[in-house]
Parts: sequence; structure tokens; C-alpha cells
Amino acid sequence: MASAAVIEMKGLSKEYGSGSSKTVALDNLNLNVNRGEIFGYLGPNGAGKTTTIRMLLDLIRPSAGSATIFGMDIRNDSVEIHRRIGFLPGELSLWDGRTGNQIITYVASIRGDTKGIVKHADELAERLDLDTTKRVRDLSSGNKRKLGLVIAMMHSPELLILDEPTGGLDPLVQQTFHEMMGEYRAKGRTVFLSSHVLSEVQAICDRVGILRDGELKAVESVEKITNVEFNWVDVTFRDAIPEGLPQQLDSMPSITDVSTNGTRVRMRMIGDFDPLLRAISGGYVEMLQVEEPSLEEIFLAFYSGDEEKRQ
Amino acid sequence: MIGSVFLETLKTTWKQMVYWGVGLAAMALLVVIMVPLFSMQDMRKLLESFPPVILAMIGVGGDLEIFATNEGFVAIGFFGKSALIFAVYPVVMGMRITANEEDSGTMDVLLSLPIDRARVIVEKFLAYGVTCIGVVVLIYLGLHIGVIMGGVELDVVRLTEVTFYLIPLMVFVMAATMLIAVMVRRRTVALGIVTAYVIISYMLQTIGLAAEGTVAEPIGAVSFLTYYNAGDILQEGFIWPHIAGYVLLSGILLLASLYRYERRDIAV
Repeated sequence: MASAAVIEMKGLSKEYGSGSSKTVALDNLNLNVNRGEIFGYLGPNGAGKTTTIRMLLDLIRPSAGSATIFGMDIRNDSVEIHRRIGFLPGELSLWDGRTGNQIITYVASIRGDTKGIVKHADELAERLDLDTTKRVRDLSSGNKRKLGLVIAMMHSPELLILDEPTGGLDPLVQQTFHEMMGEYRAKGRTVFLSSHVLSEVQAICDRVGILRDGELKAVESVEKITNVEFNWVDVTFRDAIPEGLPQQLDSMPSITDVSTNGTRVRMRMIGDFDPLLRAISGGYVEMLQVEEPSLEEIFLAFYSGDEEKRQ
Repeated sequence: MIGSVFLETLKTTWKQMVYWGVGLAAMALLVVIMVPLFSMQDMRKLLESFPPVILAMIGVGGDLEIFATNEGFVAIGFFGKSALIFAVYPVVMGMRITANEEDSGTMDVLLSLPIDRARVIVEKFLAYGVTCIGVVVLIYLGLHIGVIMGGVELDVVRLTEVTFYLIPLMVFVMAATMLIAVMVRRRTVALGIVTAYVIISYMLQTIGLAAEGTVAEPIGAVSFLTYYNAGDILQEGFIWPHIAGYVLLSGILLLASLYRYERRDIAV
């Protein structure tokens, strides 16, 4: 029976240097990505996300372990695998002196079936509102990213590997990208994307893996991993912080980590806003800002919660 | 599709090939049209008055008689130490095969496509090799235009040989550059090593020529430039063992590059 996993990584490790200068970029990674899912690969900078992706593409070789894509070895069958995947690097570099159309034609000629691929590339470029007649050096970083997406998707690959795909894209294009990912999933295709944008992960991913210091810490559904009910709240008063307010906030069960800075109070809040609004009504509130937690904070909250449950 | 990288490389390089070719052709033309301004007898006396070290530095060694001819004048003026200039173009192209693309990050995009590393190297190597031929053809045209413009009498066969002899030299330099870039990965480091290699080769060739007939003469044999000696070519025509040496070494360097590149990580 054919495996449901499109990507299978077994004990994948990558070390750089040797002796005292040895750095472990990725340590014993075991991870499967299933057909038809959008898998978010999350972690802070330097966690090993790009290293994993470059190993899957056979750009760098594992120090230990192995991986398959479509059941084929990433090293021995790289050409056949690359025929069926599309890739967008995190730091995209394209040939500066060439126009979008010239690059599309070049990539299509390597893939074969130039006519069909170029036609689809035109459709994608139109959808992403990209002018492919401009030279790469004349494109903004956002438009360069769009061109990268077109190149990755123009041959309708079975698997998309995207490293921070929406960095530099404006919100409208991000929305279009999210729709495109939804369409990919609907067609039974698979997407493996790295990201540190929580809203993006929530919007499009089915499952996420969290990587930290080269180690995979968790693989969970998006609902579970992002269901951490706290926000950072900043309240700025016009004149001064009402007397006794920090102490009052500290005593409230839904509020922790209260700090002050001039006329501003910052706190971590769980649950409804009403108790907070009542507490701050004694002063003139100039501004109230609510900030969603970072992935790192969610990760810590998620695992400290787990630890508590285990204890 | 086979040949895609080859064709794209030609498309993106032909302008540089023309610029280099036209520049060198203009230099060749200038040297040729200056021939009637000099008396070859005076030239011989002048050359005889120089100590061997100075002659070696301008690329003159062996029989001075051959340099006191129209062809010899062109050999000194253009092909002699210009071999160093001819080495620059293949170094630039050799760096483009892997080092520049890795340094800029475009190699990640290229190798994520259904194409293996060996094919990328071979197709690029062939394409840049073709541009080396293009540069040499333009130089050849420059020489001939000079002959027509200046009404200079030159042995066309010898001139053709000394010009087209540049091709194996340039391909060898390109292959050596490619291997160094593949070995060290970092573009700036590779460029530094290649530059040092070319300059040291020039020095060794000069020492070898200046020390003709002494125990130090074999030092020159280590330099790749020694095997492109315009004076020898004017006398003997194509020196096939030397050409075969360049071709064989280029092939070995290409195979070594393929072997190493297949086994190492792509730099970022």
C-alpha cells in the first residue's frame, strides 16, 4: 500500500564544523508530511528551518539520517523529485539582469513543456498582479517574491516547499496567496512551508511542527497549538497612570506581568476584556493596543501548560 | 531540456564576450598598424641590447631573429605578455560557473529544478568555452583588419596559429578557476587564490625565460604560461604536445570539479 506521507524524514541531522567549533544545525529530525496537507514548519531564526528545507532539496547533505519525498531518496533521486516539486527560498535571489519573462522561460525550458508552463505562469502573474516584463533588478522585494512564487508554482507541482513565502508581500497579495494555498489543498496537493507569522499559519496550515535549536519540539494541529488565550495589552494614559492601578491589575486573576513606563501600562491578559476596561476607567485612556503573542511565547505557554498538566 | 543552461549562459554572456573581444581586437589592430613605423633591423639591435631578464619580462626568449620580423613584432606587442590579459577573461568566466551563482544565491533556485549538478557545470563550462572561442575570433578579425588597414605583410598561417593557440590556454585557465572555486566555495577566497596562481605563473615563466641555459630554467616549466610562447609558435606553428597538455589538464580539472561539486554542500 502506498504511504500517505509525501515527505518522510528519519533521524535527519546536520552538523557544521568539527571539534570545539562543531555546530548542530539540526538534530535527529523525525517528521512526516502527509499528502494533501499544508504543513507549517515553525521556529525562531536559526532554529534549523532553512537547513531542513535545503537538505530536502539536496542542496546540502545530511550528516546523519535520511529522507524521502514521494518515496524517493532525496539524494539519489533528486532530479526526479525536483520535477514534481516547486520551491521558493527564504532569501530569494534571481538573475538580476533578466526580466521576469526571460527567467520564466528559462526555468520552463529546464522543466520541459515550455509552452504549457509559461501559459500557467502568465495566469499566476496576472493573479498576483506581477509585471513580468521588468528586469529583476528593477523589481521591489515584494514583486521579486511574487516572481519567486510564480516560478515555484507555474508547473503545478504536487508538492510546494516554501521558505517564508509571504515576507515582503502586501496584505492583499498575502490574501491571494492564502486562497491559492487553499486551492492547492483542495486539489490534494501538499505544501510544506516555513513561517514565523502566526496569522498566516492559523489561516492556512493544517498541522504545524515547532523547531527550536535544531530540535523538533512538537507536531500538533494548528487549532491546538494556537489555542493559547492570552494577549499583550498596552494602555497609554493621557495624563498619568491612575494611582494604585498597577497594584489593582496585579491582583486580578486574568492579568499578569504588569509593567509601567511613563504613562503606559503593559500587561499579559487572559480571557475577557471587561474587567480590564472597568479597572482603567478611572483615567483618560489615550490608546489601547492589543498584541497577539509571538510564536515563541505561544510555544512556551503551550509547553509550560503541558508541563503543569503532567505534574 | 538538455542544453537549456548552455543556451541561457550564452544569452547572458554574449555581450561581455563582444566587449572583451572588441577591446582586445582593437589592441591587436593597433599593434599591427604600428608595424610599418618600425625598422626590424633596429628592432633586432634594440632587443639584443636588452639583458635576458628584461626580454623575459616582455615575453621574449630563445632565438631573437624571429622577433625581428613583422610577425615577431606583433608577437611581442600583442601576444607576448598579453597572455596575462587573456587569462583575465577565462578567470571571470570560470568564477561564473559555480562561485558567482552560489555567492548570489541563484544556484539554490537553479538546483531546485530537475537538473543535476554535473549537467549545470558541463553546460556552463561548454558555453563559456564557446565565448572564449568568440573572443579569439574577434581578436583574429582585429588582426586582419589591421593587416588590411596598415598594408602590412604578415604570414597569415603563423598569425592564425598564434591567435587560435589562445583557445586551449583560455579553456585551461577557466577550468583551473572553476576547480578552485568548487574546492574553496567562497567567491572572494577563490578569486584571491586564482589571482595568486596567475601572478605566480607569470613570475615562474619570467624566471624560466630569463634563466635559459641555467639550472633555474626548469622552474618555468611549472607555469602554464610557458606553454604559450608566441616566439616558439611563430617558429614551429602549433606545438601539439603543448595543446594536448592544455586539453588533457582541462579535462582532468573538469572531472575533478564534477567529482567535488557532486559531493559538497552548496554554499549560501
